[in-house]
Amino acid sequence: MSYFVVGYYALLIGLSCLAAYYKQRTPFMLLFSLTLASFIMGIIGGVSALWTVTLAAGALALAAGTSYAFREFLVIILPRETAKEIKTAPLTASFGMFVIFTYAIAGIFAPIIAPHGESQVIASAFAPPDETMLLGADQLGRDMFSRIIFGARNSVGLALIATLLAFFMGAIGGLFAATKGGWFDQLLGRIADVIMSVPSLIFALLILSIFGTNLAVIVVVVAVIYSPRVFRLSRAVAGNVVVMDYIEAAKLRGEGTWYLIRREILPNSTAPLIAEFGLEFCFVFLLIAGLSFLGLGIQPPTADWGSMVRENATLISFGDMTPLIPAAAIALLTVSVNFVVDWMLYRSSGLKE
Amino acid sequence: MTTTKQKKDILLNIKDLRIEGYSDEKWIEIVHGIDLTLHRGEVLGLIGESGAGKSTIGLAAMGFARDGCRISGGSIEFDGMELTTTPESDLRALRGSRIAYVAQSAAASFNPAHKIIDQHTEAPIQYRISKRLDAQEDAMQLYERLRLPNPTEIGFRYPHQVSGGQLQRAMTAMAMACRPDLIIFDEPTTALDVTTQIEVLAAIRDIVDQFNTAAIYITHDLAVVAQMADTIKVLLKGNEVEEASTVEMLENPKEDYTKSLWAVRSFQRPQKLRPGGDAVPVVSVQNIDAAYGDTKVLEDVSFDIYEGMTVAVVGESGSGKSTTARCITGLLPPTKGQILFKGEALPPSYKNRTKDQLRQAQMIYQMADTALNPKVKISEIIGRPARFYSGLHGAALKNRVDELLDLIELEPSKYYNRYPPELSGGQKQRIGIARALAAEPTFIICDEVTSALDQLVAEGILRLLDRLQKELNLAYMFITHDLATVRSIADEVVVMQRGKVVEQGPKEEMFQPPHHAYTDLLLSSVPEMDPNWLTTLLEERGVDNVGEAADV
Repeated sequence: MSYFVVGYYALLIGLSCLAAYYKQRTPFMLLFSLTLASFIMGIIGGVSALWTVTLAAGALALAAGTSYAFREFLVIILPRETAKEIKTAPLTASFGMFVIFTYAIAGIFAPIIAPHGESQVIASAFAPPDETMLLGADQLGRDMFSRIIFGARNSVGLALIATLLAFFMGAIGGLFAATKGGWFDQLLGRIADVIMSVPSLIFALLILSIFGTNLAVIVVVVAVIYSPRVFRLSRAVAGNVVVMDYIEAAKLRGEGTWYLIRREILPNSTAPLIAEFGLEFCFVFLLIAGLSFLGLGIQPPTADWGSMVRENATLISFGDMTPLIPAAAIALLTVSVNFVVDWMLYRSSGLKE
Repeated sequence: MTTTKQKKDILLNIKDLRIEGYSDEKWIEIVHGIDLTLHRGEVLGLIGESGAGKSTIGLAAMGFARDGCRISGGSIEFDGMELTTTPESDLRALRGSRIAYVAQSAAASFNPAHKIIDQHTEAPIQYRISKRLDAQEDAMQLYERLRLPNPTEIGFRYPHQVSGGQLQRAMTAMAMACRPDLIIFDEPTTALDVTTQIEVLAAIRDIVDQFNTAAIYITHDLAVVAQMADTIKVLLKGNEVEEASTVEMLENPKEDYTKSLWAVRSFQRPQKLRPGGDAVPVVSVQNIDAAYGDTKVLEDVSFDIYEGMTVAVVGESGSGKSTTARCITGLLPPTKGQILFKGEALPPSYKNRTKDQLRQAQMIYQMADTALNPKVKISEIIGRPARFYSGLHGAALKNRVDELLDLIELEPSKYYNRYPPELSGGQKQRIGIARALAAEPTFIICDEVTSALDQLVAEGILRLLDRLQKELNLAYMFITHDLATVRSIADEVVVMQRGKVVEQGPKEEMFQPPHHAYTDLLLSSVPEMDPNWLTTLLEERGVDNVGEAADV
């Protein structure tokens, strides 16, 4: 029996005993059930299964440690009011913030970080990883790592612009519709219904094949597809605020619609709108990745995660995980954004306890 | 009223009860060691301002603490059972069957998706006390005892299909469903009109008497508690001030705080007369009709409000008081008639009025919580009208805001940068007043401004309004259903019923008989401090008339 297996069980049992001694029920139950589960896994999967458990636990611990440290870092550098809020954030939220922060750095400083250009052919097709290429080469012999870094800039940047536009159109429309009411509300509502009644991907494919696939068209099409959802949410949220007495007081004062929206309604609806922004960003991001995968999104040779999955898809049948790397990048960002959004929703709404 | 009962044994014994609340990441004690003894069949009144811990203690009597609260010390003994250490599952069995709770707002406490009787019979069936049909039969009997109309039929309606007073009685019936030993009434009549309040009070008292149930009656209205309770306990900020039998407490309060509570209703100011000669009224409502959609809500309403005077508009909810205010402000253009402002006709809709016309008439709202934008600083809330109408900015604006804060007796430096949720109810209402004053109006509509406040705080607001009226020569239209408020502040009274003006005139005349029948009903329904008031009143009216009076 290897020292690793002995050490593995000794550590688990030791930790369980410590937890039990200090009356920490939940950690104890967790540790000890892991010990028992490890017996079975050890018998079936042998030492390699235990290694997998160890690595998974290590990765989890690393992520938790990073999140904790990042949260402390934010608490220290941010002004007092914000720091107080951040302090209450769960580790998942600070993990999400950390990932978003990392992606932002990667996107902004892409040319400096990436060792090679995004369309620079430096090796043979599908070359395996070596010292110069962290993740190997793609189907044309371009460095995968560099393309992932540039992809952060292109995919995320595009999704961000499209979401912002969708948000701008939807929120302004929704707030005006709620404040004005009447035929204006009806008109906007019906337009939103029409857009929502067409399946989004088909709508995007149709428009993109009519107007051609350039960036401006993609941004506008995606924004138009997603703005009705923002419109509905902001109209509903503003609808709850509009009936308040303070809005009546402002109306009786003779204030204009724009003042009502800007100073009275918007401050009271920011929380759900920000949360919606996070969710919307994920959907937009996935739609753009999907369009790229179908060949109608960002055009080659520009690096983009969606199209990178498609271009390298053949490799999957050889048991190579290269095409999964951009997919994982998409998944990680989506999950992280959702972590942060969850926390914001928790804070802004009655989801407490 | 229950003093003649046979020897009573102790039902509930609370000793040194301490409850903590969680705020700002630490536990703060909010109830500091309360002792309480309740015998079978006894009714204990708990009174105090909001924040005194009345409801918290009431819930603790069921062994329950709200979210964010915990019972941190002391003992609660219910019929020999120690509730602080009883497991949750046993407590659940106790609640509903042996201890029942009647909440302040029946409308919010009934599930709107189920019929009343289904909710009524849920507890007896759940605890296997009776079968569905028996429970239903029993419910009908209880409805009859509580003098609900059509007792055999009313339970099969949904909560929104019956009136507020009936729903509150149905809730009392529901609390009785398992014949509990103890019922906790948490302000059961606070949300009701005076006329409906009486029937609910009478019903509660009867049923408590009939079944020899013990009750804890929580309220901030002294006159109400005087009718209901055998003993009264006065609370202040989680401490007991004093406890005594009702009669003794009313006649001979010992502590200063109790005396101050008793004195609240004494605020009175001399009635002013209309200015003579050909003075033009500030606001003159002339024969207006108004409707929401096709439903007519106002019919031929007219009255005048003169400079520097307070006109109180009284009536039950649904009588059209607030609708009249909406017509005056222009939110609901009247279908007929007109509104004159200093002799000039106002455009019916606020959208067509000039800035100056809008400035002259301001409004103070009932619920300060919804009347102030929670995300806007006090300085901006008050400063905005001043900037909007008078174009003040910079230092001049800041001076004006300081001046206004001084006027409403709030320290400017302390409140300038705060947000409404950080203030107490009374302070919020003061900010609402300051916002109205910032426009330098000549006429202010006060829509139930004191009804959401405790009596002591409400009195402060009334005194403030009175002082401002003297200093700034304002005209008030005072919408209220509380006749005690009318008595203290009004010069003239307009009584409304079902969208019509029933009677109007100077206050002193209005409070002297002979009255219109409806005015008489309203006046006689205001609870008085006399513990025998309810009994006498019910005798005068005859028991059978109580229900009818409420159906008016």
